[in-house]
Amino acid sequence: MAKPAVILVGADKGGVGKTTVARTLIDYFGAHQTPTRAFDTESPRGTLKRFHPDLTEVVDVTAVADQMKIFDTLGSADAKVTVIDVRAGLLSSTLQALTDIGFLESAKKGQITFAVFHILGPSIASLEEIAETARVMGDANYFLVKNFINNTTFFDWDPATYNSYFKRIKGAEEITIPKLNEMAYEQVEVASVPFVSFVGNKGAKNEAANYSFVLRGYVRHWLGNVWGEYDRVKLVDLVAPKMESNVRQAAG
Amino acid sequence: MSFRSSITIVASPRPRVGKTLLARLLADFHRHEGRAVATFDLNAGDKTLEHFLPEQTTTASIRDINGQIALFDRLVADENTTKVIDLGHESFESFFAVTHQIGFVEEARSRSIGVAILFTMTPDKTSVEAYRSLRARFSHATLAPVHNQMLGPAQHRDKYPLASGSPVVRIPVLAPGLRRYIETPPFSFADAQLADTAGIPVSAHVEIQRWLRRIYLEFRELDLRILLADLRSSIRFGS
Repeated sequence: MAKPAVILVGADKGGVGKTTVARTLIDYFGAHQTPTRAFDTESPRGTLKRFHPDLTEVVDVTAVADQMKIFDTLGSADAKVTVIDVRAGLLSSTLQALTDIGFLESAKKGQITFAVFHILGPSIASLEEIAETARVMGDANYFLVKNFINNTTFFDWDPATYNSYFKRIKGAEEITIPKLNEMAYEQVEVASVPFVSFVGNKGAKNEAANYSFVLRGYVRHWLGNVWGEYDRVKLVDLVAPKMESNVRQAAG
Repeated sequence: MSFRSSITIVASPRPRVGKTLLARLLADFHRHEGRAVATFDLNAGDKTLEHFLPEQTTTASIRDINGQIALFDRLVADENTTKVIDLGHESFESFFAVTHQIGFVEEARSRSIGVAILFTMTPDKTSVEAYRSLRARFSHATLAPVHNQMLGPAQHRDKYPLASGSPVVRIPVLAPGLRRYIETPPFSFADAQLADTAGIPVSAHVEIQRWLRRIYLEFRELDLRILLADLRSSIRFGS
């Protein structure tokens, strides 16, 4: 049995596209036949649950009962990968809670694979957060995600400042989420389906849908680029190394 | 033909190389063969195509996403119509960029619609480069270079590498005195009666028909080549 993997997707600010990134991750693992479950901490609304209702449970990550629901089931759940969409502003406190329950300790010992996707907003405020999380994180797999999805303008940070923060986290990697055409993005929102379903012209219950071919084409192209980034940082190797090597043997 | 219908894009990054005439000839050829035809005009402004094919022509623009949806969603729609696109030189780059990005040719093929690009050969570097780029980006489309002999007798074949089995489409010269008849709307190559009503002399009419038959022969040849290439690939991949 492969060891379970936990991916935290978080940001210290709202509206930076955290849930969007979580959705692309769930789609990505789905495409790699890696069983995945997700926790949405935007209790009680649950944006992630709207797009992936079958995989997602809405929880309050600060409540002990819900922490048990997530972390005590890691070994027993069918899903190999657990994606947690951490509500805006809760990233630091969630990481603190994980330290308190000894989760980070198990990750350090290699019993659990642990990765953090830190979604960066376009302002310098969110960089301060990096410094704070770096303190707790130690050797975990840390991904700094520059999210351009809804934004045409470039991040207005000073590169020197950015790099000074970036270097504080050992082995941190950068991921760039490119821009997606606004109308294409909106239509997926309206449809409330996973990106892969939209590309495949499918509705929420896998029924045939009738989305615009042009918009599907834009989403497919964009999703391909996002997944290209995940391939580049070898995300599948990270969460499911065994499965991947089997694939290579079969292919070679 | 295993393709239910086809979409032909008439293209060149150069202005004034006879694209609209070629689009008209193609559209009228398909009408002559009894197919329903829709034409799409992607030229800035002049509406030439619409003057000759008022019932078939839709003016299209791909500058914004709404225009792109209106055009491409219609192109892949299931309506059993042969479609011809007259692509103006100013839209050449952006059209093929979008086409490539949204996976248009692949989507069309998955719906049993074949895509062909008719590319008018000219000796300039821009066109040669553009042709090479199309070849690299659209391996699933039939890319056929067009030698428009009205532009001059020179062949540029050495600059335009051909895919195996892909023909060069030749548009022969039409006597200069006859050009004014076919370039004054209303005029349709598909309508035999129109010649009488438009007051074209019999001798000119006969000459135009003779010219037209040579071109239609080229188009039939092109259709056959596309069919052959399609058969060959279905045998190879067993689908």
